[in-house]
Amino acid sequence: MPMRRLTAFAALLALAMGLRADVGAAPSASLEPPPEQAALLEPLAIVVNRSNPVNGLTSSDLHKIFLGARSHWTPDRRITLVMREPGEAERKTILRDVCGMTEGQFKTHLLHGLFTGEILVSPKILASPMGARKFIYNVPGAIGYLRVSDVDDTVKVLRIDELLPNDRGYKLRVDTRQAGK
Amino acid sequence: MSEQRKLAPSDRASVRPALRDRLLAAASRHNAPFLLVLVFCAVAVVGGFVIRDLQAANAEAETMYAGAVHGLKRIGELQYDAQETRRATLYALTTSDSNLQVEYADRSRNADQRVKDAILEYTRQAKRPAEIALATRLSQDWGNYLTVRDEVLASILEGSNKEAVSRDLSGGVPSFERVRKDLNDVKALYDEDASQRLANVVATSHRSALRLIGILGFTFLFSSAAVWAIQRSRMLNAIQLAKLQMEFVASVSHELRTPLAVMSSAADNIADGLVEGKAELRKYGGVLQNQSRRMSGLVDEILLFASTEDGKNRYVLQPLAVSRIIESVVASSEALTQGEGFVIVQHIDSALPPVMGDLSGISQCLQNLIGNAVKYSGDSRWIGIRASTGPAEHAPGQEVRISVADRGIGIDRSEIEQIFDPFYRSPRINAAQIHGTGLGLALAKRIAEAMGGRLSVVSELSEGSTFTLHLRIAKGEDLQTATGSRSASSSHS
Repeated sequence: MPMRRLTAFAALLALAMGLRADVGAAPSASLEPPPEQAALLEPLAIVVNRSNPVNGLTSSDLHKIFLGARSHWTPDRRITLVMREPGEAERKTILRDVCGMTEGQFKTHLLHGLFTGEILVSPKILASPMGARKFIYNVPGAIGYLRVSDVDDTVKVLRIDELLPNDRGYKLRVDTRQAGK
Repeated sequence: MSEQRKLAPSDRASVRPALRDRLLAAASRHNAPFLLVLVFCAVAVVGGFVIRDLQAANAEAETMYAGAVHGLKRIGELQYDAQETRRATLYALTTSDSNLQVEYADRSRNADQRVKDAILEYTRQAKRPAEIALATRLSQDWGNYLTVRDEVLASILEGSNKEAVSRDLSGGVPSFERVRKDLNDVKALYDEDASQRLANVVATSHRSALRLIGILGFTFLFSSAAVWAIQRSRMLNAIQLAKLQMEFVASVSHELRTPLAVMSSAADNIADGLVEGKAELRKYGGVLQNQSRRMSGLVDEILLFASTEDGKNRYVLQPLAVSRIIESVVASSEALTQGEGFVIVQHIDSALPPVMGDLSGISQCLQNLIGNAVKYSGDSRWIGIRASTGPAEHAPGQEVRISVADRGIGIDRSEIEQIFDPFYRSPRINAAQIHGTGLGLALAKRIAEAMGGRLSVVSELSEGSTFTLHLRIAKGEDLQTATGSRSASSSHS
């Protein structure tokens, strides 16, 4: 445990030196985009391993999972969070619409959680959507996010608040004008 | 009873050379080239079998080696991919980079897919019960290992290396060990199969070599025997010919000496003045005339035979009326038959068609046959002459057959084929002191064949013989050609 805390502290120090702290920023409002913007937004699917019995989550569940407040699906199946690298449009969407944080706030939260032991495992960072998909395919307890166009049948798409990504009213959408696919 | 008695050893010994001589004679008759062709055909046929055998052995060996290489390659690939599946899984332990771990997981899954395909292929090709059982076991063991592998991979990707190692040690290692053992069993089974195949190939090769040696030995022996037979038959032929020629010379000398002695005696009597009066002189003149004609006939026969030796055809074929020729020949043979009490019975079909032949040739041939009948008719003194038509045996249509039969001593069956050989004289005839040159039948046969006909014989010992001259019937174009040439020659004259 001391070694783990030391590692977390070193990471926290590095973040504090390189990033502007903007902890406490409010999550953005998830309003339905106007029609002209909707064409430029692609739904972002929340995906899990196909063996996962969970078929849907609420926004609240998702919030807890991504912030590390919920760490297990079932008592013997822990949750492994899969995220894209900082700067990617999908990550920005998740941080904004699910976590209600900026990149800096999220990192700070993460480091804090790891340091205090509230978060057991840091999210796995994958460089590409294909990598993320394969990771989720290999790990039964993994959860991550993919653009709808990156989804295939190796992973399972979850309903969020009873809605699938292509359903009307689905909130998680990524701006296709942003680089990072 | 005496004919049915068992052969004594001495008899068997005498039969054996006779059989050998007969075989040699057959070899001689059917000629050396025929024997050589026979040997060549035998060697070619047997050689063909040997080549086919060798090719089959080669094909089997090639199939075996190709199969062995392919099989070993597949087993090697299967073992490598199984190792690669495990190796790639364990490589994922060496890094904390999730991207790299995913890559290793990917490699492991690709390798395991190849292993699955290979096991499927092995199961599909398994034929023996042991192979089928092993394929089923391998498939199950591989499935069990993959279950553990998936858990280990998941633990690694989750970042729980300790848990991954623990799972691998508790489940992965033993299950992979079972897979490894199965793969070794696959190899052992394959080795067993390959050894069996190799043994088959070696046996086939051995068998082919033995066959080849056998065939070569057989060919060598057969060729040697054939060459020996050819040489031996040639030598015997030469000896036989020399013997026949000696006999011929002796016979001709004897035939010439008898009339010469008579002529000499008659001449001596006349010279010594022992012949008195016209009647006596005429009698001696008649004797001299007869004997000189006999000598002349003998010399003519020898010359005629000599002239046919070169095989050139000297006969001019034309349509001829057979009945007239027979009448003429019978009339000219009266000198032989008259006074000896011979009865000549003739059956000449009234509507005999003209035949294609040479007048002198047919006459000579019939004279020889009648002379032959006179000589060998024994005490019966009966000669039958029959002329009729019948179906041709060696050509379509009809032919004319002129038969001269006697009820004399007949010919032994073993001699039937030899009587047409020049200079041949049966030992029985020689023993009976029936004089002759041994040329009459040979000459008659040559004449018949030169005219496009043939001479055949049917004979029973002590019952008599019938010689038949077969002649071709003159057809429409033959008759037209003959008429045309006759009118041309008359207009020319």
